[in-house]
Amino acid sequence: MLAEQIINGVVLGSMYALIAQGYTLVFGVLDKLNFAHGEVFMLGGFICVASIALGASLPIAILVTAIIAGLLGLVVEFIGFRKFQSPDAHLTAALSSFAIGLVIIDLSQKIWGAESVAVTLPGTLQTAAVSIGGLRIVMLRLAILVISLLLMLALYVVVTRSSLGRRIRAVAESPTKAALFGINVTRINQQVFFVASMMAGLAGLALALRTGYASSDVGFTFGLKALAIMAIGGMGDLRGALIGGLIIGVLEALAFHWGLGQLADVFVWLLMIVILLMRPSGLFGTLISKEVRA
Amino acid sequence: MIQDYIVFVGVNIVLAWSVYVILLAGSLSFANGGFMAIGAYVSGVLTVKFGFPLVIAALISGIAAGLIGVLAGFPALRTRGIYLMLVTVGIAVSVKAVIESIDYVGGIQGFGGMVGTTPWHVVGLVVLVGSGLALLSRSPLQRILDAVREDELSAASLGINPIYVKLTCFGVGAFLAAVAGSFYAHYLIHVSPDQVLSVFIVLYAVLGGTNNMWGPPIGAAIMTLTPEFVRGLEAWRPTAFGVIILCLLLIRPDGLLAFRIATTRTKAVAGSKPKQST
Repeated sequence: MLAEQIINGVVLGSMYALIAQGYTLVFGVLDKLNFAHGEVFMLGGFICVASIALGASLPIAILVTAIIAGLLGLVVEFIGFRKFQSPDAHLTAALSSFAIGLVIIDLSQKIWGAESVAVTLPGTLQTAAVSIGGLRIVMLRLAILVISLLLMLALYVVVTRSSLGRRIRAVAESPTKAALFGINVTRINQQVFFVASMMAGLAGLALALRTGYASSDVGFTFGLKALAIMAIGGMGDLRGALIGGLIIGVLEALAFHWGLGQLADVFVWLLMIVILLMRPSGLFGTLISKEVRA
Repeated sequence: MIQDYIVFVGVNIVLAWSVYVILLAGSLSFANGGFMAIGAYVSGVLTVKFGFPLVIAALISGIAAGLIGVLAGFPALRTRGIYLMLVTVGIAVSVKAVIESIDYVGGIQGFGGMVGTTPWHVVGLVVLVGSGLALLSRSPLQRILDAVREDELSAASLGINPIYVKLTCFGVGAFLAAVAGSFYAHYLIHVSPDQVLSVFIVLYAVLGGTNNMWGPPIGAAIMTLTPEFVRGLEAWRPTAFGVIILCLLLIRPDGLLAFRIATTRTKAVAGSKPKQST
């Protein structure tokens, strides 16, 4: 029973980590908080609902969600961040992305209503389970865990090993110097936003499939919590976001197991405040050299 | 009807000012919805369960929220603005979650039974806070705030303690939000955690412009009254808010948040004799 809860927590944590990596990627490169990120995540669930309702199969729905969420990321970058790149535009960028988030929530409530919408997959995809050593594990959750870990691994490899990653890191270090070396900073920002939003959209899809419904307030609850997780793990650090996500996911599952579910939210935010007080660079801030910072 | 307008506009004006006070020292707070909720609930419990008079309960709840604000703001204010923003979001979410989990105040259903706010309470509050801010904008304290906001480092080199200044502003902002929240709750009779936690408060202040103390109340008044009079706008309020803010930010990226044309400063530059300290 406890082991099952821990596995659930790891699955939950992998979804937190997917969103947190999007926050952290944008923060690492632009040094700004993207408050619209949680709403892109929320919309991911609804895009999945809509595409399945239109008769798409699951792989197509995943593809559509990834692409639309990524494009939405480009829109967010263009409206909310393109003009506010100076180092002291923190507040402006936060407000503009916050405003975009408001519009996204409101429009999705206009389209799909304020109530949550059920997602049903054909066949037994949502309920099929395997037992490993007496533990009953729903296949879907296992798939979510594996796919999100693979996505994050791919992102990590791209950022640390590829030439695109080198350019991203250069822009993160100093946009001006990167531009002097012939890097198209705007293009890099767009790519970062596309990837971050794509991952958020996929996380939204995963959450919708796992819980069985898409809801318009997950951006404010689930998505915003990923922001705290990003700060706990270390802002602008991909590995920190992953480990932070997993830790919080497991702790939250344990809290529910012991009947403290309602206070789990408070715990996450208080932990974030305490960590910002003790070490503003986050739990894993010093473990990783600035060079690898994404 | 007219009572409703006066109370809602007044409460929103004070809330917008509570954000403005914190912005004066250069930090943006998303937590004022949380402080407002603290004010509503603490004063509600004091009046309904212990029979305190409304004004005293509002003051006590304001002081409680101010203390919580100072305690919570302390860690984040030591670092850059972005961390403070995170902490303020955290405060707002935590306050909501804590209130929802306390059965004593009705949990998720909300808490009821508060009565007693008349429009005069709210008008009095607006006048008090407004004249306080007007006094502030003519006092040397305003220049200390300007210095901290524009450049913490040089402010510190002049012997100003930026953390102390910011913390004070944060506490005062929390106090104002809580007092406004308690009057609001005692007018509505019933409050629920969702209802008091408004994300719009920051937008009221920013939309009106934060160059001087008159921007936030104008923003709050327009944003509160327009949906009442324009049919069909109420349903589209969040979208309208978002789009208007985006347009303003895009057209005047500095105008909304920068303090370039602060009234006190232009007077000082013009060389007019400063009045005897008021």
